Amino acid sequence: MHLTETLRSSTFRLALIAIGLFGAIVLTLFSYVYLSTASYVRSRSDGTISAEQMNLQKAYDRAGRAGLKAIIEQRISDEHFQDSFYLLTDSSRSFVAGNLKMWPADLGSSEGWQNFRAPGLANRPMLRAELKTFPNGDHLLVGRSIDDLDAFAGNIKAAFVWGIALIFALAGVASVLVTRRTVGRIEAINTASRAIMQSDLDQRIPLRGTNDEWDRVAENLNSMLDRIETLMQEVKQVTDNVAHDLRTPLARMRGQLEKAYHRRRDGEEDQALIGDTIVNIDGVLRIFSSITRIAQIEAKAQKVAFRTVNIAEITSEIVELYDAAAEEKGAHLHFVGDQRMCVTGDRDLIFDAVGNLVDNAIKHGRPDGNVTVEVAASGDGGAIISVADDGPGIPAAEHQNVFKRFYRLERSRQTAGNGLGLSLVAAVARLHGAHIEMLDNRPGLRFRLLFPPNLFPLSNTDARAPRGAEQNYIKPDALREDKTLRT
Amino acid sequence: MASGHRHILVVEDDQETAGQLVDSLTASGYEVNLAANGSDALTLGLSSDYAVITIDRMLPDIDGITVMRSLREEGIVTPVLIISALGEIDERVRGLRAGGDDYLTKPFSFVELVARVEALARRSDTVIKETVLHAGDLELDLVSRTASRHGRNIGLLPREFQLLEYLVRNEGRVVSRAMLLQHVWDLHFDPTTNIIDVYVGRVRRKVDGTQAYPLIHTVRGVGYCLRAPD
Repeated sequence: MHLTETLRSSTFRLALIAIGLFGAIVLTLFSYVYLSTASYVRSRSDGTISAEQMNLQKAYDRAGRAGLKAIIEQRISDEHFQDSFYLLTDSSRSFVAGNLKMWPADLGSSEGWQNFRAPGLANRPMLRAELKTFPNGDHLLVGRSIDDLDAFAGNIKAAFVWGIALIFALAGVASVLVTRRTVGRIEAINTASRAIMQSDLDQRIPLRGTNDEWDRVAENLNSMLDRIETLMQEVKQVTDNVAHDLRTPLARMRGQLEKAYHRRRDGEEDQALIGDTIVNIDGVLRIFSSITRIAQIEAKAQKVAFRTVNIAEITSEIVELYDAAAEEKGAHLHFVGDQRMCVTGDRDLIFDAVGNLVDNAIKHGRPDGNVTVEVAASGDGGAIISVADDGPGIPAAEHQNVFKRFYRLERSRQTAGNGLGLSLVAAVARLHGAHIEMLDNRPGLRFRLLFPPNLFPLSNTDARAPRGAEQNYIKPDALREDKTLRT
Repeated sequence: MASGHRHILVVEDDQETAGQLVDSLTASGYEVNLAANGSDALTLGLSSDYAVITIDRMLPDIDGITVMRSLREEGIVTPVLIISALGEIDERVRGLRAGGDDYLTKPFSFVELVARVEALARRSDTVIKETVLHAGDLELDLVSRTASRHGRNIGLLPREFQLLEYLVRNEGRVVSRAMLLQHVWDLHFDPTTNIIDVYVGRVRRKVDGTQAYPLIHTVRGVGYCLRAPD
């Protein structure tokens, strides 16, 4: 990865902002500590000088110039006072006593505080001194070397400056490294994504096995890719099947029409052909509308028509409607369960879905078998519709496939039906938040639709809303805001 | 049926479809006006009194349902048949059908269109409150909900009676499977199976099984028609 890329990355910019903020705080803190330490040390030193100056003045007042001279000489010889500097001169600034041999030349005044380089001494140390002129014109200078103090303050300052510089340098390096790592991971994901977009969906984003958040991102992206791949395969399968299911009747129609076109006109035969063609076209249209219907249900375009419906009533109506079909096959269709069991949903869709399950059960069950439709409460306050037959059932391995669009157990696709029924059931179940289960009925197959608890359990709205009442089509959202609307 | 009130307004922007609509309605004895867009439809709909108005859901200028609403706001109560290519899932059509008028999804058979227009046209006529319906030797007692032919009682389930009643009320007219589902079961979708045929088959066995002549006839590709011989 290039440095410019690193510098451009948002992670790096964030790191810079953090470093800047942190640095400003540290700088302020250190400056404060430095300034207060320096002024404290200086004031201590100044205090010592003042006190000594005071002492010497008192000695002068008491014992005059000779007394002071004696004290100064005693101080100079005392090693406790080796940091101190003294100079007593007469009014013409001629040396009287002290360890400074001459009055410093560059002083403007001879009163108050002065900083100057000591004249006539090796190294010419920097001194800070308090000057005093006595009434008779004698001058007294009491001072201390401040080279040590300056060195001390300088040390602190240097430590701070280096410390801050080091912090900045380390933080800078750290943020470059972190940024590189982050940008590197993102770039790895980007590269893999680009490859996937450009060529094949089988590629996956590599994991590092660190189980960190980046691995989790990669895992999620990979499972998204899995899902996309499955969907793509399904779409391909569906397209193939649609092509088959639509092409077959269309080819048949085309053949018949072509033959008729070349034949002599014959009223009766033509009439029959046109009739056949209409029936075939209707079949094709029905497949079309089934596909779009499932697509629209899956796109959740339908929830507007949701309201409280009595699935027990719907189910018994279905049983009554399909009883004729069961009778035709010699099978027995039973309804078991309560007379009232409410869920939130769309009556048409539930009717269509459960009707499909019953239709399947009759078609695929034994010719003289039993089909049982049951409505019951589920443990969590929801409702269950179960449709069971005692026919040959479906091998467990095929269970997941039956919900796929156009899926049919017989590969030859010869029997009636378009293989869309169960995918419609699955779409309707999904829209209703219902769970669909397929169980072995030993013998036979049992489908269970598990509906979630009714959204409006207090509602006493009947499954059948009064006709001509458009306001009954209320969006569930609106209802959630005002549940009293229906009670 | 109120004679002289067989005037229909067709609102359809596709020329081919419009021509076919006009032809089949004219052939059924209606006088037809055609509007090719929403504003023409509003002008025509407000200017004269129609028995039925059919409106395509998607028009070049104003949405078909908006046209219908505007007519309603102007106090026009003529039944409206909305024709939609969006399919039965079209939410606004669902809302509309709950409002009472009819809808039809494209493509449709013209027999079915005429059947629905007939039904709507009749609705705007007076509703006769009969207690007994007759068709040939079939008699339906609407109070006791019993049916008989030639004086012999026919055992029917409640829903079967409802189906037969609907057929008798539409005697001589074609009734599509979707219309049966809609009026007998209050369901609004095209069944993908042949369940309606099987169900009607059972009713037919009960009604026509051992009789001198059949009443319920299959209309190929569309549905059924109950017709008594003259």
